[in-house]
Amino acid sequence: MATPIEKIKTKRAEALNRIISKGYLSTKRVYVGMATCEIAAGSKEVMAVFKENINNGLTDVYLSQKGCAGRCNLEPTVEVIEEGKIPVKYGKVTPDMAKEIIEKHLKKGEIIDEWVIK
Amino acid sequence: MKKRNVRAEKTITFCNGPGCMHLESTKIIDALKQELQKRDLSYKDVKITISGCLGMCEQGPIVIVNPGYIIYGKVKLSDVSQIVEEHIIKNKPVVRLTIEQNHLYNRFFRVFGDIDFFGKQMRIALRNCGIIDPENIDDYLSVRGYEALAKVLTDLTPEQVIEQIKISGLRGRGGAGFPTGLKWEFTRKAAGDVKYVICNADEGDPGAFMDRSAIEGDPHSVIEGIIIGGYAIGATEGKVYIRAEYPLAIKRLEKAIKDAREHGFLGKNILGTDFSFDIEIRLGAGAFVCGEETALIHSIEGSRGMPRPRPPFPSVSGLFGKPTLINNVETWTNIPVIILDGAKWFSSIGTEKSKGTKVFAVAGKIKNTGLVEVPMGTTLREIVYDIGGGIPNGKKFKAIQTGGPSGGCLPEAYLDVPVDYESLSKAGSIMGSGGMIVIDEDSCMVNIARFFLEFTQNESCGKCTPCREGTKRMLEILTRIVEGKGQSGDIEKLERLGETIKKASLCGLGQSAPNPVLSTIKNFRHEYEEHINDKKCTAGECQALLSYTISDKCIGCTACKKVCPVNAITGQVKNKHIIDQQKCIKCGQCVQACKFDAIVKG
Repeated sequence: MATPIEKIKTKRAEALNRIISKGYLSTKRVYVGMATCEIAAGSKEVMAVFKENINNGLTDVYLSQKGCAGRCNLEPTVEVIEEGKIPVKYGKVTPDMAKEIIEKHLKKGEIIDEWVIK
Repeated sequence: MKKRNVRAEKTITFCNGPGCMHLESTKIIDALKQELQKRDLSYKDVKITISGCLGMCEQGPIVIVNPGYIIYGKVKLSDVSQIVEEHIIKNKPVVRLTIEQNHLYNRFFRVFGDIDFFGKQMRIALRNCGIIDPENIDDYLSVRGYEALAKVLTDLTPEQVIEQIKISGLRGRGGAGFPTGLKWEFTRKAAGDVKYVICNADEGDPGAFMDRSAIEGDPHSVIEGIIIGGYAIGATEGKVYIRAEYPLAIKRLEKAIKDAREHGFLGKNILGTDFSFDIEIRLGAGAFVCGEETALIHSIEGSRGMPRPRPPFPSVSGLFGKPTLINNVETWTNIPVIILDGAKWFSSIGTEKSKGTKVFAVAGKIKNTGLVEVPMGTTLREIVYDIGGGIPNGKKFKAIQTGGPSGGCLPEAYLDVPVDYESLSKAGSIMGSGGMIVIDEDSCMVNIARFFLEFTQNESCGKCTPCREGTKRMLEILTRIVEGKGQSGDIEKLERLGETIKKASLCGLGQSAPNPVLSTIKNFRHEYEEHINDKKCTAGECQALLSYTISDKCIGCTACKKVCPVNAITGQVKNKHIIDQQKCIKCGQCVQACKFDAIVKG
């Protein structure tokens, strides 16, 4: 019989497959902070903008929620992660800023530097 | 195009831990800068950052290149040009220098390491917070989730697990700092057919949100820790006691427990072994005293949340009179890391008596508010200035309050105190569960003491007379002091009451309730004296002690006269105005209306 260690390895492989099948290997991964503090700062509305755009045909983007990273006064935060590049962290994101992040960063690859947390 | 990408393509991080720095790190940084200059690479291409201790001291000096989280160990001066040539320019990591990088801790570094606020932290408890989806167990599994549980069930006996926790040196993160391994051992050895495990998630300090963030950001780490605890002491049931005011944390915890059950990490015969264990959530109504373990146990049992004398300790007679292991959220999240990254490694982080890291919720008058996890032994100065970014608006630092309503206020002279259980209590404060409030020159220390005492006074359960009545009397005295009605002898009365309450109360709430008052009297006695004797509040916070006067800067524009709601200001146009002190209600509207800074608050 398989040991717990062997079982967990199988489970991990299956989990990775499920994540990949949801589009994890897309060119860009977007994480929106969705802890109580982030939601209070307005992250639900920001998340809605990304979801709406994906529903309306924005492709090659993997969207996920995440917990609070702990940078309170810059919430809501959004990360855009591309393989082989330093992840871009945006702070104090509003729905309007989310739209611009989609248009410039996600579609054209232009990072909006003044919103990046440094 | 007005926006241009000026972000660095790569980040090179040097470990600033004591182990690495006394090696050649500083020389290597200089060599790297020269090497980059020689090749005409600027800050646009490469950003150099200095981190806090990265926990790899044995292999130092450590250099990390991101993206990719490539870690180089034992880097020598002679390696610098090869790293630049091959990794920075050709994008091919120098394999001969790379070291293991599959550890659990510091995973957040891959995403956040290039930002100073994060880069100087070390994250064990919060390792996954902000980088995985907390509601998706697949995300947790992908970062080696439940592997520690599997390892324990495959390779270790319960006694061996306890031995590992003891070697790690982990101490309770709820505040008291009791050695976790010992607690586990006592509960394991206590006689009893049924035993319980409890996770104390009744976070109640004003301004503290470490546990909420940990559960909301990474609930499975907590659950995995609890299951391992259950295996170690021989329990089949666990409870998470969490306050109902944390609805999202509860929702995520419920989902995580359900998902864990479906995957066979909870329930009967976990991962095919003989070990069975399940977790139930119990909601608290948000009473501060229920964070005290015996009160918490009473609350779960359905009784009023009131503490009882110890011994017997819960490890002998706890929930329903059975041996019970109770640890707080942060303690539990450390467990999987100790199992997978190693107890010896864990014990290499921190100070002699305080091992590992501690999470703080840093708030108040500080630029970067937020969650900060640092190795034990980091100084308050490093937290406030290097990570927190210092005090905003050019104001002066006045004090730092640690440990919430049970803690104390430390003035500037204590900024170099290393954060660990013993050093903080020696300085007159406590570690507590991790609240940290920074106070600047605009805040009145008497008022701050009053705020905390009002909190504990409200939350006193009423069982012990010194706490119930004593805190009430102390609050009355503090209130009259800030209202300008302080009497001589009040300070001594506060001290005497405080000492009595500390000595004569049963639980931690009462024993520590006077701390904010006593520590502010000790360190800021002059402010109390000023309030009582001179009826003056230099910080300008106590409304009743303020007076507004108009200086010669006044040009007689009448703006203040127009906004004064009680017509206390008189004066002709183009002549200096005067405030009638009898009529003035100290609302401060005139200060805002004046464009010439002519109105003096004092």
